[in-house]
Formats: sequence, C-alpha cells, structure tokens
Amino acid sequence: MIARMISISRIGTALPPWGNEGARTVGDDEDAVTLAVAAGLAALGDTDPSIIGDVVFVSRDFPLLEGGNGAALLAGLGCDDGVRIREIIGGSPAVLDAIAHATDGTLVIGSDAAGSAGASAVLCGRSGATVELAGRVTRSMPVTTRDARGNSSDYADPRLLRERGVNESLARLGDPRPIAAAGLSAREAGSVCDGNTPKLVTTGASAIGFALAALVEQGASGTVLAVEQATLVVARLGEGNVLVTRDEPPARPRPGGQLAPGASVSISLSAYERAFDAKLRLAAAECADCGELSYPPRHRCIECGSEQPTTLVPLPRRGEAYSVATIRVPVPGLISPYTVVIVELGDTGVRTLVRLTGATPGSVAIGDTGRLVFRLVAVRQGVPDYGYGFLPDSAQAEQKGAA
Amino acid sequence: MRRVAMIGAGMTDFGELFELGIKDIVPMAVTEAVNSVDKGFDRNDIQAAWFGELVATDGFATGILADSCGLLDIPVSRLENACATGNDAVRHGAMAIASGMYDVVLVVGADKVRETSSRSTFWDWMGMTRDAAWDFPLGLVAPANFALHAARYLHESPVATREHLAMVAVKNHHHGVTNPKAQMRFEITMEQVLNAPMVVEPFGLYDCTPQSDGGAAVILVAEELADRYTDSPVWVRGTGIGLDRVMHQHKRDMTTFPPTVKAAKQAYAMAGIGPGDVDVAEVHDCFTGVELINYEDLGFCDKWGAAKMIENRETYVGGRIPINPSGGLKAKGHPPGATGVAQCFEIWEQLRGQSTNQVDGARLGLAHNVGGPTAVSAITILGIDKD
Ligand SMILES: [Zn+2]
Repeated sequence: MIARMISISRIGTALPPWGNEGARTVGDDEDAVTLAVAAGLAALGDTDPSIIGDVVFVSRDFPLLEGGNGAALLAGLGCDDGVRIREIIGGSPAVLDAIAHATDGTLVIGSDAAGSAGASAVLCGRSGATVELAGRVTRSMPVTTRDARGNSSDYADPRLLRERGVNESLARLGDPRPIAAAGLSAREAGSVCDGNTPKLVTTGASAIGFALAALVEQGASGTVLAVEQATLVVARLGEGNVLVTRDEPPARPRPGGQLAPGASVSISLSAYERAFDAKLRLAAAECADCGELSYPPRHRCIECGSEQPTTLVPLPRRGEAYSVATIRVPVPGLISPYTVVIVELGDTGVRTLVRLTGATPGSVAIGDTGRLVFRLVAVRQGVPDYGYGFLPDSAQAEQKGAA
Repeated sequence: MRRVAMIGAGMTDFGELFELGIKDIVPMAVTEAVNSVDKGFDRNDIQAAWFGELVATDGFATGILADSCGLLDIPVSRLENACATGNDAVRHGAMAIASGMYDVVLVVGADKVRETSSRSTFWDWMGMTRDAAWDFPLGLVAPANFALHAARYLHESPVATREHLAMVAVKNHHHGVTNPKAQMRFEITMEQVLNAPMVVEPFGLYDCTPQSDGGAAVILVAEELADRYTDSPVWVRGTGIGLDRVMHQHKRDMTTFPPTVKAAKQAYAMAGIGPGDVDVAEVHDCFTGVELINYEDLGFCDKWGAAKMIENRETYVGGRIPINPSGGLKAKGHPPGATGVAQCFEIWEQLRGQSTNQVDGARLGLAHNVGGPTAVSAITILGIDKD
C-alpha cells in the first residue's frame, strides 16, 4: 500500500475571462481542449513538459467523440506524441480517482466547457502532498441527462438528489466529514463539509482541482470529496509543498458578436495533417544550413534556399502586434466582429498571423505586446481547427480595470 | 521585338449586371472593341485570343469566349493572375505580337462577381488566395488583406490619416460622375466617407470598391498592320509583372507593395521613361489606402508623400498627375478579370483625346493592378508616341 501512495506537486487552473465571478463561459475560440491546455501549462510553469509521462484527460465536454482530442492536448502541452493519454468521460470523482491511482509524472486534467467553464491540472509524483483514496461509491441518480445526440433534460428535483443521492452515498461511505467538496453548489458543499469549505467556480471535472488548489493555498490537509450526481470519491490530502499557478483573469462580460448565416468553412484534412505539429506546437522549421526559422515550415529555406531536412523548434510566445485589422462586416459562418493580428515573436523576426483572443475585438493596437495562447481557430466541417491566438497584455489591464 | 499597337478597345458598363451572364458580357465587350476600330475591323482577322477571368463562371472559360464571340477557329487561352489578371492578359497579347508569332490578337477580361450572393464572394476569393491550413480559417477577407497594409501605413506615416484615405474616395467618385460606364456615378462628401459603417478598419463602406460584373476588350496588332486599321494607334510601350511573398507574415515592410515596385521598374525600363513622364494613370484602388501606397510605389512621389498629393489635389484631372480619371475601381467598379483591361481602355481613350474626363495633352499613360494576397502586380504603359 505504501508503494502505491502518490503525491501532488503542482496544480494549474484556468478560467475563461468571460462571465461573472460566480460562473464563467467559454469564448468562441475556447473548448475543453484549449482550457485543458491552459491549465496544464499553468501547472507546468517553467518545467520541461518531458517530465510528463502519462496524461489523464477527464471531461464530459470532449469536442470530438471519435478521436482527436488527445493529440491536440499533447501538442498544446508540448508533450511528445508518444506520451500515453487517456480520455475519460467523467466528473470530479473520476479526476480524484485518477490522481489517487497516478504514477510518477502523471498529469491529471479535468476540463469543463459547458455550463460553468474552467479547467484544472494536477501533476502527480513522488514529492509534494500525498493523496490517498479513502472510499468510492458509484450510484445512479441521473437528475440531469445529456444523450449521445446532445439532447438534455432536467428532472428538476434537487432535494431528491441531495437526500437519496449525495447523502445516501455519503452514508454508505460512513458519513465522512470532508474539508472540501467538489461537484456541489457552494451551499450544498457547506452542508456536507466541516469548517470553511472553499468556494469553487466550477462543478464538473475541473472542480476537484480547484478544491485541491484552494486547500493547499490555505495549508489545509484532510478529507476531500468529489461528487457527480450520486457517485462519490473520497480521498485524504496530506501535508506538503504544492505549487499552485492560477491562469484566472478577472471575469467580465463576453463581447457581443453576430454569427452570419452561411455554409461552414471547408477544410482540407490533408493540409490539416501536414500543418498539425508546427501549428499546434507553435514550432518553426530551423534551416540545417543557415539556422533561419521558417514559419510555417517550407520545403526551401526562406533565407538561404537550402532544401535540407529541417528541425522543428519551438517559437517564443511573447510578441508585439506589427499590424491589426478588425473585420466588422458579416462573413458567412463566422462571428463578427473579429480582429486579426500579425504578431512579431520575441526577437526571432518570425511573424505569425492570428486572431485576437481574450479581448474585445478592435481593442488591440499596433505595437501592443502580449502572448500567443492555444485556441480554437475555427470549426470547419465539424473539425476543431486549433492554433494560436494573440492575448494582449492590455486585455489583462482592461480586466483589472473592470474588476 | 516588334512594336505593338492597340487599335481598338471597348468595355461594357460595370455594375451589378444581373440580367447578363458571362456569355453575354464577353461578346458585348468584344463587339465594342471591334466597333471602336477607326477604319473598320473584320473579326476574322483575329489570329489568337487571351481571356483574363479570375473566377470561371458558367464553366469552361476559353470555350465560352470562342463560342460566344464566333471565334471557333483560333487558339484561345485563359489567364488568371488574381487582381492583376487584366493587365497580365494585355501583356500576354503584347508578347504574342512582339514575338512575331501573331499579327492580330484579341485580349478580353471579364468577371461575373454578382453571379453569387454578395456575402459568399468572401469565401470564394479567400479560397483562391489563402493557404488552406494556415490563413484560410482565420477569415482574412479581401478588405482585411489590404487593411493590414493600410493600418501599418497609417501607423508609420508621419502625415497620413484616415482623412487622406477618404479624400481618395471623394476624388474617385468625383471622377466617376462623367463616366457613362461607371457603376457609381455620384459625388460623395468627406463626411459621408468618414461616417459610413466600418467594413474592416480603417476602411469604411466608401473606402471599398463595390462588387461588380463587366467585361473589357482590346485589339492589338503588329506595327506593320496598324495603318490598315487606324491613323491614331496607341502603342504598348512597357509591361511588367511583380511578385512577393504570398503570406502576410513574410512581408517585411507592409507600408509598401513590393510587387508594384518591381512591375513598375520593368515597365518603365521597357518604355524608356520614368514616373515623371506619366501624364495620366489608372491605378488599383480596390481600397482607398491602396491608392495612396500606389503613388509612392509607382514613383509619383517620395515615401510618405502620397497624403500631401491627395491633399493638394495633384491627382485630380487638372492636377499634376491625374489618377483614375475613370473613377477607378472605387467608382467605376471592379470585375477583377476586366479591371486591368478596362484601365487600358480608359488610357487608350485618354491618349486619343476621347475620354469623357479628358486629361489635356496626355501622351503617356499607365495602368496598374495589385492583388491576390497583395502578392502580385501588373503594369501596362501606353503611349501615343512609338518611342
Ligand atoms: Zn537557410
């Protein structure tokens, strides 16, 4: 048993800037994958992603149900595509279970795009605070449903859920008194917990990560509870150093925009596949002869004409807007207005053409600085087309001003 | 190389020609050109034809020209070079004659933009000019293409403002009023331009060309044959094509269009002239800011000098170098394949003293396109003098 005990050393959280302090909503260029990438990168900080040997991605809002989420997540995190990744459809109980059963170098991510949006990522290993499974009960109380076709219904009986769902499951686990509960409303969490239970901004898969982050920030240790309908997982959080990094901009209203009717933007999957690594990993082709960085990669070096095989190297993510255009007319299949920016990256001389993200369209000017963040560029014939967006520093300032 | 004479030129009205298909527009433009030949012209004299069309409407382009114009027994080729299609088609016709391969050549340009809904044009054009994986999904519509240049130009220019862009629109609308072929024959005010709904910053509605249908045609012949058709031919003095990196990310200086600079260098050298010798020019003003950048790229003024040129009305008819006396793309309209050929039609009329907005004593004129993802330019220099 001792050999199986795992610790958590780093937690990253991510929230979209849109919504209010109580609940966030995703922007048009965000989904469960982009939020998972943001949380994962927050957890990693400056740590080399090669320490991650295993990724567990838990959500009930996977954009692709036929495959494809995992590769995008690994690319966005900067992980090798040989890293094991498992996609689990579930909520906070599945995340807590995955943490308790993790091995050294496992990154467990919970991500929620529908409802209250957010993501959390927990890096597991030998150091930090221990997490030990204390109990589990899986029962059915499907008061809200969503089927494979996306149809949902709500039985609308919160008392039934509380008494015959959560409370009955707690009773079967011997009525533990946790110090935090993920997956419940603040009021319900308060009623099942001892002391000042942390107030959480999400209730889905990401909630347990937010709970653990809040507890370690308080220096608290004890029993934690993860709930999804009538299914519960309980674990004991030990003491230890855990680094928490929050990518949580203050909330503000999501800018309005109008989707113009029209056909979905077409995609070439051949072109998508060729561009995938360079595009999702933000990596340029380095010339073997002169060292010039070509982005996007190209057969013949843009500088010296070399046609030798190139190496993909990551580009810096900070940059400055070289030029900006805000499209205000309706464009079929797109939400207007939107802003495109040519960003010059660090001192590489490399420029990239991207959309503005996390800021009101039109709110960025030439010369503004910011960083490139993993975003959903478009959904084309049902395919999420990931890439990068420009998040200006001014957006952060704007948010502080609004907060 | 043999000298090339333009002995006939014609164009249809430009506008939303819903009642006409491409199979109507092409023969109408050709007949206008045939009828313009001073001493009469038998279309059976035509030995080869080039058809500039950006987007194939109703299918097979060369066959449509041959079939609709009664030219089934000559070689016909289609040419597509983005918005530079028209002047590049003229260049191909001129090369065919200069080389000695043919003596009489027809060049037609036409497009039927309003054959599809005004909004779907955005994606139709983007698909042609954008990288499928990298740029296409961003929604970099045509105005944004050019707005990225104009925004940087306004940022760097010590003098230019959005007002200077508006002055271009006011001038070209003013010029278009007298042009019976123009799509927009009405004056506009600075206030109207500046207060119009924004399309893509810094371009408002009146900073943008309309969507147009139309066709234009010119007839080119070898020097030895010119007398047979006219006593006042117009000579093709120079042509040029310039290219650039196709992705905006790779254009180091976006305050200029290097394709224009390169095309102009070729055309001026071929004509043995400099920009100061040009008496009248038709330049690509798909968006107002583009016309200002063209002044500098074509050498009509120094870097950042364009704002003062428009402010001082130097490019009005009557000014130092009248630009877009036809109304330009802005007021005359912009069916892309036809645009360059129609510019040559305007210069042909100007040099022969026949324009409805005549520049006094014009002896040398220049026609210019810039387009695609701002990565190609084509220029034709026409003169009333052989050398
Ligand atoms: Zn090289």
